[in-house]
Amino acid sequence: MNILADILSATLLFAVPLLLVALGGMFSERSGIINIALEGIMVIGALISTLLLRAFDLSGFGPANPQLAVLIAVLAAGLSGMLYSLLLAFASINLKADQTIGGTALNMLAPAFAVVLTWAIQGQGNTTILIPGWVRITAENAGLAGAEGFFARLVFKSLYLTTPIALVLMAVSSFIMYKTRLGLRLRSCGEHPQAADSVGINVYRMRYIGVLISGFLGGVGGLAFTLAAGSGFQSQVAGYGFLALAVMIFGNWKPLNIFGAALFFAFFKIIGSYSGSIPFLPDFKEIRSSEYIYLMLPYIVTMIVLILTSKKSRAPKAEGIPYDKGAR
Amino acid sequence: MSEYIIEMLNITKSFPGIKANDDITLRLRKGEIHALLGENGAGKSTLMSVLFGLYQPDSGTILKDGAPVKISSPNDANALHIGMVHQHFKLVEVFTVLDNIILGAEKTRWGVLRKDEARRRVVELSERYGLKVDPDARIEDISVGMQQRVEILKMLYRDNEILIFDEPTAVLTPQEIDELMEVMRGFAREGKSILFITHKLAEIMKVADRCTVLRKGRLIGTVDIADTSREKLSRMMVGRDISFNVEKKESAPGEKVLEVEGLTVPSRLHKKNAVKNVSFTVRRGEIVCLAGIEGNGQTEFVQALTGLEKAGSGSIRLKGREMTDMPIRERSRLGMSHIPEDRHKFGLVLDFTLEENLVLQRYWEEQFQHCGHILRRPVREYAQRLIEQYDVRSGQGAQTIVRSMSGGNQQKAIIAREMDKEADLLVAVQPTRGLDVGAIEYIHRQIVAQRDAGKAVLLVSLELDEVMDVSDRILVMYEGEIVGEFDPRKVSVQELGLYMAGAKRDDKKEAV
Amino acid sequence: MKKRATMPKGALNLTASLVSILAGLLVGFILLMIFNFDKALYGFGNIVLTGLRTPDRVAKVLYTAAPLLMTGLSVGFAFKTGLFNIGASGQYTVGAVLALVGAILWQLPWYACILLGMIGGAVWGAIPGICKALFNVNEVITSIMFNWIGLFSANLFLYNSPRMLANAWGAINKDRTAALDKANPSAILPKLGMDKAMGSNYMNISIFIAIIAAFVMWYVLQKTTFGYELKACGYNRNASRYAGINDKRNIVLSMVIAGALSGLGGALYYLSGTGQFTMGKQLLSMGFNGIPIALLAASHPLGTILSALFIGYIQVGGEALQPEFAKEIIDIIIAAIIYLSAFSLLMRELILRGRSRRRQAEEEKSRQAADTVEE
Repeated sequence: MNILADILSATLLFAVPLLLVALGGMFSERSGIINIALEGIMVIGALISTLLLRAFDLSGFGPANPQLAVLIAVLAAGLSGMLYSLLLAFASINLKADQTIGGTALNMLAPAFAVVLTWAIQGQGNTTILIPGWVRITAENAGLAGAEGFFARLVFKSLYLTTPIALVLMAVSSFIMYKTRLGLRLRSCGEHPQAADSVGINVYRMRYIGVLISGFLGGVGGLAFTLAAGSGFQSQVAGYGFLALAVMIFGNWKPLNIFGAALFFAFFKIIGSYSGSIPFLPDFKEIRSSEYIYLMLPYIVTMIVLILTSKKSRAPKAEGIPYDKGAR
Repeated sequence: MSEYIIEMLNITKSFPGIKANDDITLRLRKGEIHALLGENGAGKSTLMSVLFGLYQPDSGTILKDGAPVKISSPNDANALHIGMVHQHFKLVEVFTVLDNIILGAEKTRWGVLRKDEARRRVVELSERYGLKVDPDARIEDISVGMQQRVEILKMLYRDNEILIFDEPTAVLTPQEIDELMEVMRGFAREGKSILFITHKLAEIMKVADRCTVLRKGRLIGTVDIADTSREKLSRMMVGRDISFNVEKKESAPGEKVLEVEGLTVPSRLHKKNAVKNVSFTVRRGEIVCLAGIEGNGQTEFVQALTGLEKAGSGSIRLKGREMTDMPIRERSRLGMSHIPEDRHKFGLVLDFTLEENLVLQRYWEEQFQHCGHILRRPVREYAQRLIEQYDVRSGQGAQTIVRSMSGGNQQKAIIAREMDKEADLLVAVQPTRGLDVGAIEYIHRQIVAQRDAGKAVLLVSLELDEVMDVSDRILVMYEGEIVGEFDPRKVSVQELGLYMAGAKRDDKKEAV
Repeated sequence: MKKRATMPKGALNLTASLVSILAGLLVGFILLMIFNFDKALYGFGNIVLTGLRTPDRVAKVLYTAAPLLMTGLSVGFAFKTGLFNIGASGQYTVGAVLALVGAILWQLPWYACILLGMIGGAVWGAIPGICKALFNVNEVITSIMFNWIGLFSANLFLYNSPRMLANAWGAINKDRTAALDKANPSAILPKLGMDKAMGSNYMNISIFIAIIAAFVMWYVLQKTTFGYELKACGYNRNASRYAGINDKRNIVLSMVIAGALSGLGGALYYLSGTGQFTMGKQLLSMGFNGIPIALLAASHPLGTILSALFIGYIQVGGEALQPEFAKEIIDIIIAAIIYLSAFSLLMRELILRGRSRRRQAEEEKSRQAADTVEE
């Protein structure tokens, strides 16, 4: 039973960054901009927020107010991701540059920048930013000391503030997308920007909003990933930005489906780490370094799922196409 | 109070290199139906886009009720109660009718949509004006006629008083056109003012009070309909007398070239078939026209015929040879040429040069390549011959990038390429769409010339005038079926309209 | 006539690329100043000058440029067909490993190993191509997945092939492949005495092979029906189908060729005999650097030669940055160059469009004049 709780808990832990980032991709693509830069945005968000956590740790503010410090770090992650995504928005909306190329540039820039900055701050060769221990929420500091059993284990095995925040953000995203004026207008810009323009909607503004929201969610997702990965920030997020794009496609650009897709992928990611403790899973004893089999698993599953769902998936119609107001 | 509700005075608007509007003045009276007449490219749409706030004029002023106003966005136009039904509908296909109507004019509380109120108002408006729509249907699932009603409701929902209709009849059946005219008259009676953009003279004579004519970006004049005639208007529009009829000899049909039998094509949009059990033949020396309203399966039929999509069942034979499942290249070799519906999407590689486009259907022939190496000189010579023969004009001759050419010349390049193939069957889909009268006459003459040279021609057209003028035989398609076959000399436009709208059908399924 | 029509476009491309390069270098200089003001000028001098200081640095530039040229060609070739091959890294990895298998396990000579490398890359490129052609799965996502799958399978394979690893050939390392001078000297690319002439063990024929490949690609794209079909597909997939071109086959073929080019790049790099393949958990950056190279060259195969030499040049310069600065500054410069070249693509287009509009206007005028006469 414990192992089940552990697996579910870890699945949720790794689903959170995928969920956040895929939701980010959804906002951007629904407004008409393909955001392939999410990987880079995650790196920037993680970089700034882990540096902040480190500063809080050194100054003593963190240990004294742990969850307040984390909350500030979450906001910093989101805002820095937002700021970074401005570069994508500017290139693809105002300058109408190729969205994939601009995004690729940002993906290359972010890790290089992170290494250079970490190096400059922590000194030569010291390229890992460690996460302070007080960041985690345990049963004790949640005021539930002594909580035992399946659910306690499931909840507190590896709980960070990012998890409840992500769940709230998902609900909010869903509400915004389908119940508000902003959502309606955003979606219209991704489907038929000319129609939106003709009824007085500022397409550029909507697309900026879409990209900036995705930057915020991507940045928070970067922090969530780093917390989940557990070994500190090493200037990279291991392709999770791209996995999140696959999650978004699998989730058909819809918030709840994306949540399901994120859990699905996270499960395949986790199953590898627990392969030794799950009796029915092969442990590939005769193969050396069999961890690579499990490392590959999420990517292979992603491929298969993408192929299977390709017929049904329906991307926003105008995504990737720059909107030119003056075009005749 | 001014006599005019809207005055556009001395409007000039240039695009890089082209003066789309040159010192144009147009005055709209309250409660009138004012037609704006001109050929494609005369500047009608530009002028209306200026009024609707999509473009800023380089010079000139706009007055509303005698006072100058500045319209720099559709929002400003909306605030002045100006609304527009665009020629290409501005509707989000995956949204519902209701969402499309409220988009941009949403009623909200703290940013949250209040759709119930909006729905009540839409239902009320649709009942009051007889514009039947289902608020919860998705745009992609409803007919073109209903989509137009949604566009009209969009204007009414915004309390617009000045209504611009940009070529609203192009997609409608004659009966639907009559209904639309009635709706327009109703609006005018209520005191709404209507600007009606068109190039169809009959409609103007029927419904408009006054008419302003544009030609090549310039104002030719404004006339009262009561004092003018069709002929006068057409002379104002084109600048010379035009023959309304295509001159051609009697057709002399020969052997069968194309035989279609029981052809069924599944739809890509929904589960039903887009083309249902269609059978007919086309013989040498005749022009058979497939008429119908947009979206009744013509596109799918042509795609199956030309090999762009797979047919569901049935058979297609060309000169007696089965070609239902043949690859496109094979069909082309066997003797089919195809002027596609959408010249930018299918007909041309816009970033290729003109010569590269002119050999698009035959670059693989022995004369143009040797062991996979393209022979530049023969390609150039061939292109030059076509350019001369078909009078294709471009900046740098054979080396012009096609994207930089005018629409008419792009279409001429396609016509040159497809006609020069000397194929036994010519499939021409809306070959004159968006062209001016001169180009249309030219293309019609070429099509008749193909027929007289003993080719079989299948013309797919949405323009009833074209259908009546050019064809030797008319097949009407409705919801994927052929519902009637006619001799253009013995049928009226009204009669055809009834078939196109599905109101009448012949049970005789086998058209021969 | 022909010269006049094409020359300005080439010059335009060159200008646009030069502008983004200069701007990118400026970004780098500013960063250097921010991190270490005193050493900034010295560091920048290293970036810009190192590559030409000594013959052995020149050799290092050529050695670095060869695989970069191949991945640049790979990305550029796919671009011409309308595909974004972000999977060059995986193709490069698989190509490299297969070439090394030929060299170490099968003891094949260098040219056979090169061929194996191309096959490896081609297979790895084919898969995203097939997914795109048959299932319409976005090739960007697929190739990224296959970068990771390629890297992990390469590691998995090498860890399970003891004969491949350095420790089987007299060294102690278990995390990298055997050095070729120990395992199979005949698999090392010929040096033709150039190594002695330039005083560098890095000098070999790889750059010449890469340049030949660039010319072959240029010929294929410009002069053959196959290239015509590929470009037609890239510009307008619908129109190419309409013309009877098998678009699906062309998409797959284009990815196969792009993959083979990347695979060749991997083979050239590791068959130089100077580097050993190390099993890590990071994607190899060589493949990603093909993207800026292709963009700088506007995907033109011959332009790619120049841009690969440039990127190789500043990378060699970047190595001289350490320890005062992180060598990743170079990556920032390259990223800045791509970001800026995305603009320059736009600038280029705007200038061209402005021209064609003017031309159209003239045409229009002459036509109107003609019409007036008719009236």
